[in-house]
Amino acid sequence: MKNYISLIITTLLAVTSCTDVVEVDVPTAETRLVVEASLDWEKGTYGNVQSIKLNTSTPYFDLDSDTAVDGAQVNVTDLDSGDEFLFEGQGNGLYTTSNFIPVLYHQYQLEIIYDDETYLATETLYPVSDIKALTQSTEGGFDDEFLELNLYFDDPEEEENFYLIRYQEEGDPFPDLEDQSDEFTNGNEQHDFYEKDDDEDNNEQPFEPGDTVFVDLYGISEQYYNYIRLLIEQYYGSGDPFGTVPAPIKGNCINQNDPANFAYGYFRVTQVSRGSYTFQ
Amino acid sequence: MKKKILTYLLLSLGFTVMAQEKYTIRGTVKDNENGETLIGASVYLQGTEYGTITNEYGFYSLTAPAGTYTLSITYIGFEGTTQEITLNSDQTLDLELSQNATALDEIVVSADDTEKINLKTPQMGVAQLKTQTIKEIPAVLGEVDVIKSIQMLPGVSNNGEGSTGFHVRGGAADQNLVLLDEAIIYNTSHFFGFFSVFNADAIKDVKLYKGDIPAEFGGRVSSVLDVRQKDGNSKNFALSGGIGIVSSRLTAETPIFNNKGSVLVAGRTSYAHLFMKFIDDLKDDKLAFYDLNLKANYEINQNNRIYLSGYFGRDEFILANLITNNYGNATGNLRWNHIFNDRLFANLSLIYSQYDYRIVLDFIGLDWVADIENYNLKYGLNYYVNDKFKLNFGISSILYDLNPGEVTPSNETSSINYLKLDQKKALESAAYIGAENEVTDKLTVQYGLRLSHFSRLGGQSINQYANDLPVVYNEELGIYEAGEVVGETSYGKNESIKTYAQLEPRLALSYQLNDISSVKAGYTRSAQYLHLLSNTTAVTPLDVWTPSGSFIKPQLSNQYSMGYYRTFNDQKYSLEVETYYKSIDNRIDYIDGSNLIGNNTIETEILNGEARSYGMELLLRKNTGKLTGWLGYTLSKSEQRTLGGRAGGLGINDGNWYNAPYDRTHDISLTATYKFNEKWKLSSNFVFQTGRPVTYPNGQYEYEDLSIASYSNRNADRLPAYHRLDVSAIYTPNRKPDKKWKGEWIFGIYNAYNRRNAASITFGQNWQTGENEATRTAIFGIMPAISYNFKF
Repeated sequence: MKNYISLIITTLLAVTSCTDVVEVDVPTAETRLVVEASLDWEKGTYGNVQSIKLNTSTPYFDLDSDTAVDGAQVNVTDLDSGDEFLFEGQGNGLYTTSNFIPVLYHQYQLEIIYDDETYLATETLYPVSDIKALTQSTEGGFDDEFLELNLYFDDPEEEENFYLIRYQEEGDPFPDLEDQSDEFTNGNEQHDFYEKDDDEDNNEQPFEPGDTVFVDLYGISEQYYNYIRLLIEQYYGSGDPFGTVPAPIKGNCINQNDPANFAYGYFRVTQVSRGSYTFQ
Repeated sequence: MKKKILTYLLLSLGFTVMAQEKYTIRGTVKDNENGETLIGASVYLQGTEYGTITNEYGFYSLTAPAGTYTLSITYIGFEGTTQEITLNSDQTLDLELSQNATALDEIVVSADDTEKINLKTPQMGVAQLKTQTIKEIPAVLGEVDVIKSIQMLPGVSNNGEGSTGFHVRGGAADQNLVLLDEAIIYNTSHFFGFFSVFNADAIKDVKLYKGDIPAEFGGRVSSVLDVRQKDGNSKNFALSGGIGIVSSRLTAETPIFNNKGSVLVAGRTSYAHLFMKFIDDLKDDKLAFYDLNLKANYEINQNNRIYLSGYFGRDEFILANLITNNYGNATGNLRWNHIFNDRLFANLSLIYSQYDYRIVLDFIGLDWVADIENYNLKYGLNYYVNDKFKLNFGISSILYDLNPGEVTPSNETSSINYLKLDQKKALESAAYIGAENEVTDKLTVQYGLRLSHFSRLGGQSINQYANDLPVVYNEELGIYEAGEVVGETSYGKNESIKTYAQLEPRLALSYQLNDISSVKAGYTRSAQYLHLLSNTTAVTPLDVWTPSGSFIKPQLSNQYSMGYYRTFNDQKYSLEVETYYKSIDNRIDYIDGSNLIGNNTIETEILNGEARSYGMELLLRKNTGKLTGWLGYTLSKSEQRTLGGRAGGLGINDGNWYNAPYDRTHDISLTATYKFNEKWKLSSNFVFQTGRPVTYPNGQYEYEDLSIASYSNRNADRLPAYHRLDVSAIYTPNRKPDKKWKGEWIFGIYNAYNRRNAASITFGQNWQTGENEATRTAIFGIMPAISYNFKF
């Protein structure tokens, strides 16, 4: 909702404003550990193969640092069953296992030992609805002439639900992330859309027949929702005067030895519905 | 303190009774061409110390010992007049002044009296601009703008081009009390901040109190912008207007009831939307604003006059099938001026104000409305006790009704559920008394006391939180989050949820060093019970006002100021230097990641902070001659801090002081008007400001295949400095004296050297290369403008 207000004003500003890329001196903070521990259980699979990525942060305009973190000890424990899963380093910052057992509503704990410091995080695995339909249209979305992909799914009424939606067109360098909660829409069929703009500046082009988009719908915890919402908001609107003031985004991987030396990233355990759609 | 003041008042009153041989002359000062009352005209007895200025209704009252005098009335831009009087009894004398015989809307060769500094009055930190001056300042697209004009004065700044509101002495936009004919204006902007809601054609007088706020005003902690509408021509029918690039204006004024009264109706509308209809891509879109000003008055008899004023403004913004947004203010005010006797003037006002907005987002099926409404009853008296002592006192009561939001599905396929946030009600009352007292020839003191009372009324439920903490610090994650709800208290309609009362002393002293210089000092304490919720860098018209209550305390400010004033070269130049220190308690601040929209429990998103600002302002004016204008310079600092307090943790930004978004270290503005001849006048202004504080990224990391920026200290970096030069030329064609039609062309260039001032710098990834880059958005490049004004 907030993004939309920003959108309105930005659209209005676009009437008279112009933009250009400029060089800016930015401060440089110390390097931190980055944990991308996303244990996502795809519906209809065993979910036994999982990987965790460890990196370090770099200066903002840095291009070429090798950020992979190797030599860390990584394991995940199912706190409800007591099962422990060891993730083995692959030498490229990735740590993998093929023994993981996802169980809905179980609480998992991640432990990372890196540089003589221990990081701990806990998270609960929440279910997600099935993707009900993926359709295409032009009259919806932001622009009446461009194709957009529509995603439909049902929201359960009994509980508060939080979602992360990831769209990625085949061949695109990055995904498009969206967060959603059922705060205003509890119990209803949920609708979301993904439309691409015609933007020469960054080479973005509208969808055309034949384009394929992959859609991931994650059921996430409220805590992760708060995290990813802020991350998404800042990613798309940092520095925008009508966006919120950027703030440090703190994840759930807590340094047990020195809390001030916290890690970026998050340990999430989710269920995910995956789908794909090719425009006609 | 209070006792002392009372004793002093009584003594002064006693003094009047003893001074038997004095008589009072009173009346109203008007413009003889159109019957407009003149605010701030000087009325004095030549060769004596006895003098006064007219009040907001043009009324004056002057008491002096019996005798024969020459009464002199001056108001610059007008021919002064004198009149012999014999003061041997109390008497009434209404006076009229003629405008200087120059062009359309008098060309102010010398500045207005009210703009000239007054060495004697203790009032400091007040800036007054006459409509004519405002009209001469070059403006974006030629659209005359009251708010942008006051930003040319020291101590007043904006929050970037195209942002709503203004900032006074490091205060936030919601800390300004903006009054249009006494009615509160909640949002001063059109087009989300590009233009302001005041149509200069309908406005008589603009006064900004940035330092000492007189006791009659309250409810905001930073400043009062007191805008008065014209009364309307009570002598002849008159039509005036203008055509510009953005909007057109038309004002009609006419006498009514045998010249016993007058009516003014002014309208202004943008018309870009009319052209948009012819452009295929834009034909279903709309971008428009309009406003309507209304004023009527009727003089029942010499001692009674009634005024009716109204304002209605609206913005509409439609992006076909996507967004429909409209918002606006509406106000109405019925006033009754009553003169009890020669020395007692009273005004009773019944005022209504409203602000609402609606936003429809069809693509997600959401229809959102929110509004704020208030009814205000105000009774104020001016008591001219004697020539050395003047009293103002009165009462005011405001009933607020706030609807923070109502959500309905906008179409049949919408997945949105109906939701209405709790309606909120509150009553804000005040009683005040203020005195202006000339203690000696050199020392004048103005002191006052305002007692304000605020009651948040029931008719809703309030959550109870564990340990009474709506926000708690999560030690483990190092973040602030909502506290645990343990219950709910429901309050009946007439029950009070929470009350606050505050004593607000106001004090100002002026000591005249000699004929050309004086020093002044002041202290103001004020309370603010309404808060504008905004966690974005710049406020938007869609932000919601919220009253103080169980969790949100009233803001309290203490401001200390000192100043030095002098004139040079026989008043040709004047210099004002003021310094101030202001502290504000209970300034709400938002926890990281706060979500204010559609939130019924705002208390779970905010912490109680404080703000402070200090600075030095310098204003050098040239008042007379072919070249007039001013140079303003402000050196200032404005910061805020929010500690964790009972919620735990260090606080927002680790509990450190950080720059307010509107902190500007240096702010220079130069405004000059040069009159070549009767036909041509050149006007220009130059602005330089330290860049707006911003938070730049201090690192990046990869997450979900995106490069995510990390941020540290809030507002620790700055945008590049902002500077800009505008020029305009005003051409008044020759005209035959017998023709009623008077016209004037204004040609302007905004941002003459086309500086690309960064309104913002955003950081993100280039879609093609994936590299991080910084993108600057500049709003106005060089912008030419032309407009035509006429009077008939």
